[in-house]
Amino acid sequence: MTDWLERNRWVWAGLGVLLLWAILSVTTGRFSLHSLSGVAVSASFLVLVALGQMLVVTTGRGNIDLSIASVLTLSAYASIVVTQGADARLPLALGAVLLIGLATGAANALLVVAFRVPAIIATLATGYILATGTLIANRWASGFTVSPLLKTLAAGRIEGVPLMLLVALLAVVLVGLVLQRTVYGRALSAVGQNERAAALAGIATGRIVTSAFLASAMLAGLTGMLLGAYVGGAFLEMGAPYLLQSLGAVVLGGSLIFGGASTALGTLFGALLLVLIVTTMQIAGLPPGTQDIVQGFAVIAVLALAGGRAVRRRRAAPANGSA
Amino acid sequence: MTAAFRAAQDAPAQRVGAAAPDDRLAAAPKAVARLVGICKAFGPTQANDRIDLVVEAGEVLGLVGGNGAGKSTLMRILCGAGRADTGSIEIGGVPIDRDLYDTTLAQLGGIRIVHQELSLCDNLSVAENFFLESPEAARARPGWRARYRQRAHAALDEVFPRHGIDVDAPVGHLQIGQRQMVEIARAVAAPRVRLIILDEPTSSLGLERSLQLRALIKARAAAGLSFIFISHKLQEVVDIADRVLVLRNGRAAWTGPSAQASVAALVSAMGGPTEGTLRSRRAARVAGTEDTAAVARLSGPVVAPLGHDVVLRAGEVVGLAGLEGSGQRDLLHRLFGTPRGGISREGGASFVSGDRQKEGVFPLWSVLANIAVGRLQGRAPLGLVSDTAERAAAQQAAQGLKLDPARFDAPILDLSGGNQQKALVARALVGEARTILFDDPTRGVDVAAKEDFYALVGSVARAGRLVVWHSTEDIEFLECDRVLVFSGGRIVRELVGAQISEQAIVDASFAEAAALERDGTAGQRGFGDWLVDLAPFASLIAVFALMAWVNPMTVSLFGLDLLLGPAIALVLVALAQMFVVGGSEIDLGVGAFAGLVSVVSATLLVDTPALGFAVLAAGILAYAAIGATIQLRRIPAIVVTLGASFIWIGIGYSLQPTPGGSSPDWLTAALSWTLFGLPANLVLIGVAGLVALAIDRAPLGVVLRGFGNNPAAMRLSGWSPLRYAMVRYAIASLFAIAAGLALTGINTASDVNAGGPFTLISVAAVVMGGCALIGGMISPLGVVAGALTLALIGALLGALNVSTDYNAAVQGGLLLAMLVLRTVADRRSANR
Repeated sequence: MTDWLERNRWVWAGLGVLLLWAILSVTTGRFSLHSLSGVAVSASFLVLVALGQMLVVTTGRGNIDLSIASVLTLSAYASIVVTQGADARLPLALGAVLLIGLATGAANALLVVAFRVPAIIATLATGYILATGTLIANRWASGFTVSPLLKTLAAGRIEGVPLMLLVALLAVVLVGLVLQRTVYGRALSAVGQNERAAALAGIATGRIVTSAFLASAMLAGLTGMLLGAYVGGAFLEMGAPYLLQSLGAVVLGGSLIFGGASTALGTLFGALLLVLIVTTMQIAGLPPGTQDIVQGFAVIAVLALAGGRAVRRRRAAPANGSA
Repeated sequence: MTAAFRAAQDAPAQRVGAAAPDDRLAAAPKAVARLVGICKAFGPTQANDRIDLVVEAGEVLGLVGGNGAGKSTLMRILCGAGRADTGSIEIGGVPIDRDLYDTTLAQLGGIRIVHQELSLCDNLSVAENFFLESPEAARARPGWRARYRQRAHAALDEVFPRHGIDVDAPVGHLQIGQRQMVEIARAVAAPRVRLIILDEPTSSLGLERSLQLRALIKARAAAGLSFIFISHKLQEVVDIADRVLVLRNGRAAWTGPSAQASVAALVSAMGGPTEGTLRSRRAARVAGTEDTAAVARLSGPVVAPLGHDVVLRAGEVVGLAGLEGSGQRDLLHRLFGTPRGGISREGGASFVSGDRQKEGVFPLWSVLANIAVGRLQGRAPLGLVSDTAERAAAQQAAQGLKLDPARFDAPILDLSGGNQQKALVARALVGEARTILFDDPTRGVDVAAKEDFYALVGSVARAGRLVVWHSTEDIEFLECDRVLVFSGGRIVRELVGAQISEQAIVDASFAEAAALERDGTAGQRGFGDWLVDLAPFASLIAVFALMAWVNPMTVSLFGLDLLLGPAIALVLVALAQMFVVGGSEIDLGVGAFAGLVSVVSATLLVDTPALGFAVLAAGILAYAAIGATIQLRRIPAIVVTLGASFIWIGIGYSLQPTPGGSSPDWLTAALSWTLFGLPANLVLIGVAGLVALAIDRAPLGVVLRGFGNNPAAMRLSGWSPLRYAMVRYAIASLFAIAAGLALTGINTASDVNAGGPFTLISVAAVVMGGCALIGGMISPLGVVAGALTLALIGALLGALNVSTDYNAAVQGGLLLAMLVLRTVADRRSANR
C-alpha cells in the first residue's frame, strides 16, 4: 500500500480536490457544477503552463523555468497584435507565438546546457529581457479585438463542457503517455535522477534538457495566446501569477522537485487544487493579498512535507549515508 | 551529558600531552577509543557486522581491507558522522550512548580524521582552515588570523620541513599533495587531539613527504598520540603499524601485532584471490582468435612510447593498468565519446562505472528499469517501451550474472553493492554495443559478486564483444588477454598473455612514474586572477567615465549624490543576496521582502512605531525560519524563497493596497545629513560595504563561506549546519531590511511592488561583483561596485535618451553576458 502510494503520488492532490469540492458544496449552497466548470477553465490554462514547468523540473539539478510568466504575457500581446481580430491571420499569430516560445526555450537551453548557467538565473534573466518586449508591445497594442476562432477555442463549450478543459485534458494524456510509455520519457527521468549516469548510459542529456526548455516555453506561449483570447486582451501582469502557480501545481501534484519523477495526472490535480484554493478564498471574501500569502505558504508547506521523502530515498544509499 | 563529557576529556588530554612515554605506560591504560560489537546496515547490506575496534594511547593501528570491506563505515561511526545500529562506544574511557554520539563529541574526544577530499574548504586559506579545526582562539577583531597563520606555519614546519606552502593561499590553489600535507598538519596541530585517523594519507605524497610523515607518526606515537592508519599499500601498513586489523565483508577477519603480519598474509585475510586461481581461470577460457574484427584503434600521442598503434579486437579483454590517475580513465571516456584525436571505434559502446552512486544507478527506479535503460540508446524518442520485452531481455542478461530476476521489481537501492553492480553490467549487456567499457567495476563489491563478474567477463568477450577494463586492483588484470600499462597519461607497456603478472604491471607503472615528483609547489597567482578581482572596480570606473563624458555634471558632488544616492537600496539588497549566494543558494524573495519592509516603514512605523519594529523583528525571524526550513528539509532554496516572495507581497498588499504612506521623520533625517560635505547616501553606501566586509572577514564570515564551499567537511569539524543556515539568512534579512528602509527614505512613500525588480538586479550585482554562484566565494566591495555600476548604467541609458522600458532588458542581458563570459574564461583556464 505504501509502495503504491509512493508510486502514485497524484492521489493526494486528487483527494485534496475532492475534499475541498465537497466542503465547498456543503458550506455554500451556490457552489454548483456550473461554478465548478469555471474552476476547470481557470485550471486548464494553469495545467498547460504547469506541464511545461513539470518537464523542466523533471530534468533535475534544480532546473526551473522562471521565464514562463514573460513568455505568456508577450505571446498574448503578439497574438493580439498580429491577428487584429481576423481569423485569417491566425496562422501568422500562431507562428509568431511559437517563434517566441522556440527562441526563448532555445536561449534558456543554450545558457543552461552549453554555458552551464544555473537555470534559475538564465530563465530569470531571459524573462526580464522579454519583459522589456512586453512593455514595448503594450505601447503598440491598439485595441483589443480577438480572433473569433481563438475566442471559441478558449471560451467555447460543447454540451456545456468547456473546450479549453478538453484541450488541457488532451495535453495531460499526451504528456502522461510520453512520460510513462516512451523512450523519451524514460530518458527524461534518467537525466533528472542522475545526469552523469544517463550520459554514460548513452542518453543525449543535452538534447533532453533542451527539449524540456523548448516544450515549457512553447506551452507557455500557447497558453498566453489562449488566455489572451479568453480574457479578451492582454495586460502587463497577466503572466505573473503563473510563475508560482505552475510550480505549485507541479509540487502539489506529487512530482519530485529534485527531478527524475513526474506525473502529468498529478499536475492536473495540483492545478485544480490550487485554483480551488484560490476560488475558496475568493468566495470567503479574502482580499487578494491574503490569496498570495496562502499560495506561498501552500507551496512551501507541501515541499517541506514532501522534501523529506525524497531525501529518505536517497539516504538509503550507503555511499552518501549521512551526507 | 556534553559538559560532563567535556570535563572528562579535558583532564587526561593534558596528561597525555605533557607526560613522557614511560609515565604513560605506568598510568592505568585507558583506550582512546573502544568500539565493541559495532553493526551497521544500509538496506540489506551489512556494512559493519559485530566489529570490535580498540585503540590504545600511543598505538598505531593499521586498518586494511578491500574496497567495501566496511572501513569507511567504521571510521564514519568512530568520527560521529555515521550512527551505529548496535554496539557500544567508549571514548577516553567514558561510555557514550551511541545515539548521542556525533561529530561534536568525537571532536571533544580528540578524534580527527584526515581524508583526501572531505575535510578542507578550498575557498578558504590554509590559515582559515586551521581556524575551522580549532575555533576557540578566534576573536571577532581585526588581526585574529595572525594566530592561525602562526599555528599553521608551526604545524607545517614540524610535520613537513621545507614544505614551501603559503599559509595565506586559498587551499584550492594548492596541489593535491600539498592539500594532503595541510590536512595532516592541521589534524596533528589540533589542541587536545588524541587519535588521528589517516585515510590513504600517502596516496598523493611523494617519497620524501611520505618518509617525513612516517617519522612524525613514530615520534608522536611515542609521545602518546594514537593513529589509525588506513592504506592500500600493505607494506607501508606493516612497517608503520603496531597492530593490524583486517576487515572483510564488514567483519573483522584478522587482528594481531604487525610483527606477525606479512603482505601475503594480509592479502589472504582480506580475501583477495590469489594469482594462481585467476591465472587458471584465464587458461581455461577459450583462446581468442587472432584475426577477429578490429573494433577500436588507438594512435597519436597516447601510444607514442610504444611506437606503434594499438588495435583492439572483438573477443578480447583488454586491461588498462597503471597508477591511479595516469590516464586510464581518460582513455576510457575518450573511447566512449565521439571518436577524435587518434582514437577511433566501430559500433556502439556502453559504459559501466564502479562509482555506482555518481555514475551508475538511477535511484528512483526499480532494478528492471535500471537494466532496461541500456536498451534506449539510439532509439527514436517517441518509440514505445514495453515492459515484457524489457523483462525478457533483462532476464537473459541477468542469467549469466547470477542476478535473481525475482528482485527485478525491487528499488535498485535495496540491493547490495554487488547486486547493484550486476544490474549495471546487465544494463550494458542488453544493448547492442560492440564495445563494453568497465571503469573499476568491482569497486566496493563483495568477493562472491566479484567472482561472478570475473566469470562473466570472459564469456561476454568470447561472444564477440570487445571488453576494455580499467581496474585499480592490479590482480584483476590477470583476467585480461592484454594489458596496456599507463604512466603520465601515456601507454608505456603492452603486456600480452603470459607476460601479464602483478609484478610486470607494477614495474611498468613505476618505471616512468618514479621520475615524477607528484607534489609540485603552488602556482603563483597569475596576472589574470588579479584582473578578475579588479574587474568590478574597473567596470565601475569605465561606466563612470562614460557617464562623465556624456554629462560633465556627474563629476560634481551634487551629481554624484543625484546618481548614486538612490543606489543605496540596490547596494543593500545586493549585499543581502550576496550572503545567501555565499551559501550556494539564491534568494528569489529578497526584492519582495525589501518592498514589504518599505511598506511597513511607511505605514506601521509612522503610525505605531512599536508594532512596526515588532513586525520587522518578525521578518528577521521569518528569514531565519526560511534558512532552517531549507536546511532541515533539504528542499531547494529557489522554490522556498519564491513561495516566500508571494507571502511578502501578499502581506505588503494587505497592509497597503495602493502605493502611498510617508517616511518617518527620523528615517528622512537619517538620509539627509552630510559628513565633511559628503551626502549621507554616499557615506552610508560605503558604511554598508564596510559592515559586510567586516562580517565576511570575521570568524563568522569564514564559517559561512566554509559552509558554502564544503558543508560535509564543516559538519565533520563539528559545526552546526542548521545554526549557520539560520544565521546566514538572518544576516541577509538585516541587509534587506536596511534596503527597505532606504527605499522609503528616498521615495518618502512606499509601494510593495517597488522591491520586485531588485531581485534580478541583486543577482546581477553579485555576479558582477565577482562572486561565484556556487562555492562560497564572495566579495563585499566587489558587490558594492557591481551594484553601483548597474545603477549608473540605468542612469547612463537615461542620459542617452533610451527609454526606461529597456532597463530590464539591459540588466538581464548584462547578467547573462557576464555569466557566459565567465564560463568561457573558466573553461580556458581549465584547459591551460
